[in-house]
Amino acid sequence: MKRIYIIGAAAFLFAACKPKVNVTTPPSAGEVVFSNYMAIGSTFTSGFADNSLTVSGQLNSYPQRLFEQFETIKSGNGATGPFVQPLVSGDNGYPNPKLILGPVTYCDGTVAMAPVNTTMPLDSNGSWQYISPINNAQINNTAIPGIRVADYPVAGYAGLNPYAKRFFYNPAQRPIDELYSRVFNLHPTFFTLWLGVNDVLGYAAAGGQGDGTGGALPVAANIYNTNDITPTAVFTTIYDSIVTAASSTTASGALINIPDISALPYFTAIPSNGLIVTRQSQADSLHAIYASKGFDIVFQEGKNQYVVIDHDGKLRQSVPGELILMNTPLDSIKCAGWGSTKPIPSEYVLTTDELQNIRNSVDKFNAYIKQECQLRRLAYVDMNAFMKTLSSGMAYNGIDYSTSYLSGGAFSLDGVTFTPRGNALVANFILTTINNFYKSTVPHTDANKYPGIKYP
Amino acid sequence: MKKHIIAASLMLSAMTSFGGGYQLNMQGLRQLAMGGTGTAWPWDASTIFYNPGGLARLNGIQVYGSAMMVMPNTAFGNRDQSGVVSSNEQSVSQSFMPFSFYLGGRIHEDSRFALGIGINTPFGNRLSWNDNWLGKYMVQSVELKTVFFQPTISFRASEWLSVGGGFVFGTGVLEYNRALPVHGIQGADIDDGRSNLRGSATGVGFNLGAQIKARENIQFGLTYRSQVNMDVNGGAAKFTVPASLSDSFPTTRFDTRMPMPQVASIGMGWRLGDVTLQLDVNYTGWNSYDSMRIDFAKTTSTLQNIRAPRMYRNTLTPRAGLSYKLSRVVALMGGAAYDPTPVTTGFVSPDLPDADRIVLSCGMTVKPLPGLTIMAAFESVNSVKRNGSYDYAGFNGVYQTTVFTPGLGLYYNF
Repeated sequence: MKRIYIIGAAAFLFAACKPKVNVTTPPSAGEVVFSNYMAIGSTFTSGFADNSLTVSGQLNSYPQRLFEQFETIKSGNGATGPFVQPLVSGDNGYPNPKLILGPVTYCDGTVAMAPVNTTMPLDSNGSWQYISPINNAQINNTAIPGIRVADYPVAGYAGLNPYAKRFFYNPAQRPIDELYSRVFNLHPTFFTLWLGVNDVLGYAAAGGQGDGTGGALPVAANIYNTNDITPTAVFTTIYDSIVTAASSTTASGALINIPDISALPYFTAIPSNGLIVTRQSQADSLHAIYASKGFDIVFQEGKNQYVVIDHDGKLRQSVPGELILMNTPLDSIKCAGWGSTKPIPSEYVLTTDELQNIRNSVDKFNAYIKQECQLRRLAYVDMNAFMKTLSSGMAYNGIDYSTSYLSGGAFSLDGVTFTPRGNALVANFILTTINNFYKSTVPHTDANKYPGIKYP
Repeated sequence: MKKHIIAASLMLSAMTSFGGGYQLNMQGLRQLAMGGTGTAWPWDASTIFYNPGGLARLNGIQVYGSAMMVMPNTAFGNRDQSGVVSSNEQSVSQSFMPFSFYLGGRIHEDSRFALGIGINTPFGNRLSWNDNWLGKYMVQSVELKTVFFQPTISFRASEWLSVGGGFVFGTGVLEYNRALPVHGIQGADIDDGRSNLRGSATGVGFNLGAQIKARENIQFGLTYRSQVNMDVNGGAAKFTVPASLSDSFPTTRFDTRMPMPQVASIGMGWRLGDVTLQLDVNYTGWNSYDSMRIDFAKTTSTLQNIRAPRMYRNTLTPRAGLSYKLSRVVALMGGAAYDPTPVTTGFVSPDLPDADRIVLSCGMTVKPLPGLTIMAAFESVNSVKRNGSYDYAGFNGVYQTTVFTPGLGLYYNF
């Protein structure tokens, strides 16, 4: 009899004690109504990746991730579908082919894995004109790859940018008017706005070819050189009008600031001290080559800074901290003496003063974005701080994410835009800010669920 | 964008794991039933493990065998940066069976010397998560199996003192699986790479003990079990990765060392009629496990040796147990222990998400025939809910573990 009791008690214990960690926080909206979420932005917001726009890139955009997390709120004011993005028709790239990893043979016979254009047939047919499947032409992610704040007042902008043209109500109207149309159509209750990156990126990606001081003059009425930095006064005036448009339905929202773009892999993948001299005699003969032209450049055995043409057209050795762009042809470095016997042309180099120009403008733009947030009581997402964390290495659920090209996991093959994992990390960072600012409890997504770099 | 060389390094974070509070206090059923106490009183031949000094006090020659079924279960909730906890995960139920075998007794009836051998499994760990769980890049499954052999000699120095010692030879198998964060170009789904490490380990040590019979009904015990470093030499490391990365992840060998920590114990036993009370305290030298190191025979820029910080701390475990002799045939036992975790804040990793544990146990013995004793025990371990992070891997969560262990065994006195 006793034994039966003991066995019974043991069975009961066994059944009752399977552990349950019931500490999950129920997702809640806090002070926000997430029901109509609209994303406003440019390249980073559109899902652009691997140097092109594809369906899978769009479906892995950070606004898509945010929407999915807002959707987990079941206690009221959560997002309700559908979340409409102007999807292109395929996965091979629009309008140019996307990059994939493949073996590349260099001039010196070495073979390495490197990004190459996909050879799959392009699927631009059907991508030209996007028509929302929803009756009232709803679009939630209105991001336009490449658009700058400076472009918003440009009439006929869609004629210059196929990504805008393919879903604008009226390609002839100014992007700011298009934004108003979209806002009135969707009536967003919540928006995220990430603009301004492209206002400095063009200058950086061109190796700092423009004026860079923020004093550029328009090249035509209202139009600014895409290889230059948007003047600060122009930026602030237009940015203000964009936020006014975005919040015209009294939506709450988050403004995302501009990261230090010089930390992107596109600018760091080629180290500026990549000139390897193996013998002293080699160093001496390099010295002699430049001495004969009237330059005094000292080389040493081991790593040397590349020789470059700087912002003022002067030939000199680069200094540590200066950056060589990822589009520098490697065959020219390997076989044509770029950086050693010949200088690397200026358009592939960001010099100290050019980098300072970028940082000055980013600081001014961000100060203004922060001011907008305070004035309008919007959440301020410090993506600049996130990028700093990422560039110093960020351990996340067992992976060391960083800004290193390929190995860092967060940036796609073009070295500028995010992988699906990177986008999810961005979404999580935005969620942290939203949760803190609006007292909501929107759970993060597991960024490792999504793809990173894909290897053949 | 022009073609570009890839700085072929694909630094995988070296954050992997096994180990943890992997000590099993399950080398005797009566002791298991009495909260893990057993240093002071030589109940049966399992004293070869619990206190080799007690063997010289046993009557006759005894053969002893027992097996247990350990059923661990861990639940995990992910905690993100804004403090929101989501994604409940349950470990896959995985049981394992530690066993004990002892043979020993005095070399002849009047001798002060006794000899014996113990074969048991004092350390082990087995934990599996779903292959696609949140912590898959740290651990998908881990298994540590050890078998320790301990030839033992014991000597009754006087009426009140007996001492003993054993040489410990440990063998074991370690298997550790995790996902690698590299995936192929095909398909939309993520087909993660996989890392499989498997190796056998050996190590040596010793086990010393003394038992003091202060009075007829009061006994004390002291034991010291040395650290046993289980060394894996030339284990097999296999990686499944996309073809273009096969040179970066070569099939190779690995070495590692798992320290099985030293344990010093002091115990007291007090017999009052049919009731015996035992109190033990174990001091476990976990701090020898400061980091997990794996050295690969062949490293690449991608496949680097692993140095994962552990920073375990020493623990002090109080235990209490009670035995009640119901009749000449049946005895009942119960016990409890508080087992603090060696895992320190910031180092709680999902391979063994250890937390302070509360141990409750019970059991009974039946003597159906002269010389034969049948034993049954049941132990339940509940960890407190722990907010843990493994900062090294950026992994945060809430863990709770329960372990149920039923066991059966018997011994026979010749």
